[in-house]
Amino acid sequence: MYKKLALLLLVLILTMPLFTGCGPKESEAIKIGLQGPMTGDYAYEGQGFEKAVRMLVNQTNEAGGLLGRQIELIIEDDAGDPAQSALVAQRLVDTKVAAVIGAYNSTATEPASEIYNEAGILHITPSSTATHLTDKGFKRFFRVCFLDDRQGLFAATFMNQVLGARNVGILHDNSTYAQGLAEHTKRYAEEQGLTVSYYDAINPDDQDFSPILTNIGAAGLDVVYFSGYHAQGGLLLKQSGDLGLNINWMMGNASNNPELIQIAGLQNAVGTYITTEPLPKDVDYPEARQFVADFEATYGQSPDSVWWMMAAEAFNVIRYAVEQTESTDSEVLANFLHNEAKDINGITGPILGWDEKGDRIGTIHLAYIIDAGGNFVVNPQQP
Amino acid sequence: MQFIQQLIQQLINGITIGAFYSLVALGYTMVYGVLKLINFAHGDMFMWGAYLGLTGFNVALAMVGQAGGWSILPIVIILMLTVALVGVLVERIAYRPLRSAGRLAPVISALGVAFILQSLARNVYGASYKTYPTGITPTGGLSLAGSARVSTMQIIVLITSFLLMGALYLFVQRTRIGTAMRAVSLDHDTSRLMGIDVNRIIAIVFLIGPGLGGVAGMIVALYYGSFDFTLGWSYGLKAFIAAILGGIGNIPGAMLGGMLLGIIETLGAGYLSPQWKDVIAYAILIIILIFRPTGLLGERVAEKV
Repeated sequence: MYKKLALLLLVLILTMPLFTGCGPKESEAIKIGLQGPMTGDYAYEGQGFEKAVRMLVNQTNEAGGLLGRQIELIIEDDAGDPAQSALVAQRLVDTKVAAVIGAYNSTATEPASEIYNEAGILHITPSSTATHLTDKGFKRFFRVCFLDDRQGLFAATFMNQVLGARNVGILHDNSTYAQGLAEHTKRYAEEQGLTVSYYDAINPDDQDFSPILTNIGAAGLDVVYFSGYHAQGGLLLKQSGDLGLNINWMMGNASNNPELIQIAGLQNAVGTYITTEPLPKDVDYPEARQFVADFEATYGQSPDSVWWMMAAEAFNVIRYAVEQTESTDSEVLANFLHNEAKDINGITGPILGWDEKGDRIGTIHLAYIIDAGGNFVVNPQQP
Repeated sequence: MQFIQQLIQQLINGITIGAFYSLVALGYTMVYGVLKLINFAHGDMFMWGAYLGLTGFNVALAMVGQAGGWSILPIVIILMLTVALVGVLVERIAYRPLRSAGRLAPVISALGVAFILQSLARNVYGASYKTYPTGITPTGGLSLAGSARVSTMQIIVLITSFLLMGALYLFVQRTRIGTAMRAVSLDHDTSRLMGIDVNRIIAIVFLIGPGLGGVAGMIVALYYGSFDFTLGWSYGLKAFIAAILGGIGNIPGAMLGGMLLGIIETLGAGYLSPQWKDVIAYAILIIILIFRPTGLLGERVAEKV
C-alpha cells in the first residue's frame, strides 16, 4: 500500500517539470554567468566581483527585472587558473547562460573566451587587459576595461614627462597580463627616447625577491616600473625597504589595491606611483557616486578595487543592451554593442563605444601616489 | 669592489632563505627517518604555524595592547604545542592505521591531510593575503662591507634557526629518546625487541617535527610580513627537495640541503635571472643525485632484501 503510494508520489515528482516547463519561455529567468577567482591568489578581486554584480542584479530584480523577467546570476570559481577557467566556462555554457562576465586575469580569460566564442555567447571581461585577447576576431567578446598598450603608453609618458626619467627598469611576473603591459611600456618608453637598461621577470610563486632587488639597487635606475600583481608588488616594496635600497617604484594597475600597503608596510610604500584606471572614489560621475554609495550601504565597506566597479560596469552594459534591443540573443546584443552603442552613461564614466575588435574606446588612466597616510591619491602632475 | 659587495649581499639573502628551507626540511627528514614516509602534510602544518601566529598576535594586541617584545614567547609556546598536537593527531588518525599497508597508501593519506589542512586554513582565515600587525618586527640592520647589509630581522632569523637546529641535533644524539629515535629509524622490530615503545617514539617525532615546523611558519610570516594558505605548498616542496639533497633521514643533511638550495637559488636569481633560478637549482640537484643517489650526507645502505 505504502509502496504504491510512494511510487505514485515519485512519478508525480518526476513528471512535475513537464507541467511547469511548458509555460511561456519569457517567464523564465535570464541567466547571466559570472566567472572569477573566488579562491586563490586573486580571491579578493573575485569576491568583490561577486558583491558588485550581485548588488546590481538584486537592484534590477527588485525593480521588476529585465524585459519583465528576473535575472539569475550564476557564479563560477576559476581560481584565476587557466585550466579551471576552461572547466567552469564549459559549465556555464551548459547551463545556457545568455551572457558571461569574467574572468579577472587575462591568463584565465583567454581559454574561457575560446569556449564562449565557440558557443556563441556574449562575453564581457571587466579586467583582462592583455592586448592579444581581442586579436582573435571573436565577434561576441568585449571589454569594459582599457587595453594594456594604452596603459603602457601612459606609463612611459608619465616616466618621461612628469618624472623626467632617462634610465628606467621594467619588471614583470611572466603572467600574460604583466608581460604584455611590460612589453608595451618598454616599446613606448624607447620610442620616447628613454633607455630601458633593466628588463626582467620575477617568479610570482616566490616570496623572497632579495636577489633581484640587490641587482636592481645596484643598477642606478631613475625609476622601476613593476607591471605585476599587488601581492608581489607589496613584497618588492617591503624587501627593497628592508635591504635599505632607494628604488623609485612605479607600479601598474594590478598593484592598485590597499593590500599593497598592508603587505609592504606603510614606510616602504610611501611615494610609490601607480598607473591605473581611477579608483572608485575618484570617478566623478553621478553613476559612479551612486554605485559607491549603494555598495557602502549594502556591504558596509567601500568598493576598494576599480575592478569591482568594472565588473558592475560589465553587467550594466549587458543590462543596457538587453533593454535597448529587447533581446537576450548574444548575436543581437553583440551587434548592438559593436555598431549602435555609443555614449552610454557608464558607472566608470561615459562609454564611447567599442571598436571592431571589442575594445572599449578611449582611456581613463591616471597616475596615483601613495601618501604618508597610506592613501592612494591622484598625483598632482599628470602627463 | 661593487662585485664583492653584491656577492656578500646575495650570500646573506641566500642563507636567510636557506635557513627557512632547513627548518622545514627537518620535519620531512625526521618523519622519513622513523617511518620511511614522505609526510606531505608537513608543509601545511608549517603554514598553520603562520596562521596561528597571526591569531596569537591579534589576541595579544587585543588583550595587552601590544604584540611585540616578550609577548612573542607565550605565543610561540602555545603555537608550538598546538601544531605539535595536530601533528600527533594526524599521525594517530591518518598514518598509524596504514603503517602496514605498504608505501603508497600512507603517501596518499599524507597528501589528503595536506589538502584538508590547506582548505581548512582557507575556509577559516579566508583566501586573501594575510599580514601580521605592524611594529612586531624590529627594523634596521648592520652595514657590512659598503653597500652589503644584514637586517636585524635576518640576524634574529639566523640565530633562532641555528639554535633550534642545534638543539634538535643534540637531542637526537645525546638523549635516551634521541637514541631510541635513531634505533627506530634503523629497524622497528629490533627496536621493539630492545624494549623501545616504537609507537611512542613515532608520536614524539610527530610532536617535534610539526612543532618546529609551526615555529618556522611563524618566523617566515614575521620575516616576509604576508602569506596566504598556499604558503605550505611552495615551502613544503622546496624543503622536501632540500631534505633529499642533504640525504633524507639525516638531520644535519636537511640543514645542509636547505642552505645549499637557498644559496644556489639566490645566486641563480641574482646573477642570471629569477626566471632561470629554478632551472639552475634543479639541474644542480639532478647532477648531485646522479653522483650521490642517497643525497650529500645520506648513508650508503644496501637495499634491504
